[in-house]
Amino acid sequence: MSRADTGAPDVRASALEQRLAALEAQHVEALREIAELKARDQLKTQFISNISHDLRTPLTAIITHAEILRDGILGPLNDRQAESVTGVINGGRQLLDMVGEILSYAKGSANQLTLAISDFGIADVVQRVTALNESLVARKGLTLSVEVAPDLPTVRGDREKISHVLGNLLGNAITFTPSGGRVWVAARAVEANAGGEILVEVGDTGIGIAPENHDLVFREFAQVDSSPSRRHHGTGLGLTIARRLVELHRGRLWLESTLGTGSRFYFTIPLVPSTP
Amino acid sequence: MLLVDDSALVTGALRVLLEETGHRVTTADSVASATAAALAEVPDVLLLDLTLPDGNGLEVLDRLRAEDRLPRTVVALTGHDDEALAAHCRSAGCREVVVKPVSVRVLIAKMREWVGEEAS
Repeated sequence: MSRADTGAPDVRASALEQRLAALEAQHVEALREIAELKARDQLKTQFISNISHDLRTPLTAIITHAEILRDGILGPLNDRQAESVTGVINGGRQLLDMVGEILSYAKGSANQLTLAISDFGIADVVQRVTALNESLVARKGLTLSVEVAPDLPTVRGDREKISHVLGNLLGNAITFTPSGGRVWVAARAVEANAGGEILVEVGDTGIGIAPENHDLVFREFAQVDSSPSRRHHGTGLGLTIARRLVELHRGRLWLESTLGTGSRFYFTIPLVPSTP
Repeated sequence: MLLVDDSALVTGALRVLLEETGHRVTTADSVASATAAALAEVPDVLLLDLTLPDGNGLEVLDRLRAEDRLPRTVVALTGHDDEALAAHCRSAGCREVVVKPVSVRVLIAKMREWVGEEAS
């Protein structure tokens, strides 16, 4: 009995030490694996960034040659020829937008997205982005309405990136709304904890998003319908980038939607802090 | 005018456009060849890609400035729509920053403006 009493603590201590050593070894191994995965992730991001950049060069040449033909610089085209060349240009520009999205995503992943800050009116951004989409809205037979509160205060942020966010949301609204439907953009000032902010809403009467997919749409590469036969194509990065850009401004981007009745996407941008 | 881009695809397309709209075009594909071409004959307009195999396109401006041979109009050509980069180009002496692919209609109008001012 006395021998067991004196011997048992040593045995237990030894077992504990062994266990501790094993855990430490596992910990070191886990840290090494994490470092390796991070390094590989960085390599992949760099690769995506490089390949996106390289894809732009031949696309640029294709679009320029096609525009030279379309504009009759090498001689007049008949209507069918012009239609065909316009198809090349539209396809090229769509591809270029997708490459641009992938490049933005890669930059965001590498924390290389920077903001070019200025003070601007959100009404101008809304006006510009909606004007760019007017012909598409007309072609699809949709109604687009804009409701921007008068005398909205100036926001401080990156005008181009906010335009990109709004363009993405409006583009999605148009894409996912069948002919005859409505899309709208609204902006108003709202109170917030740390001062005021501008709330922008982009809504549609389109196909909507089921509640179980509300988080999915913001996830990188995810699409609600990712089947090869899906009707709507894209990189699956648009909303991931949009949310990232809004968050860089310390704003928020979220959605409310019911399947079959349409979607409303909202984002906020903090106002210029008032000077004392 | 001098057109600088390391991609023959890009210079090929822009050369067709610019020559067909009445401009005399010289091309170069590196900082060294662009500098040599601009020193041999100062162009009225320099369209300058930023990413060149032997350095940043803006280095061409530094070298030409050192020789007091800067073209009157320098326009940066870039694949990146990035305001910080554009500001950097303007501070380096570029009159404008054009993001590729520039619309053919826009480039024709702008060339007319740049060359027109040179002639006046």
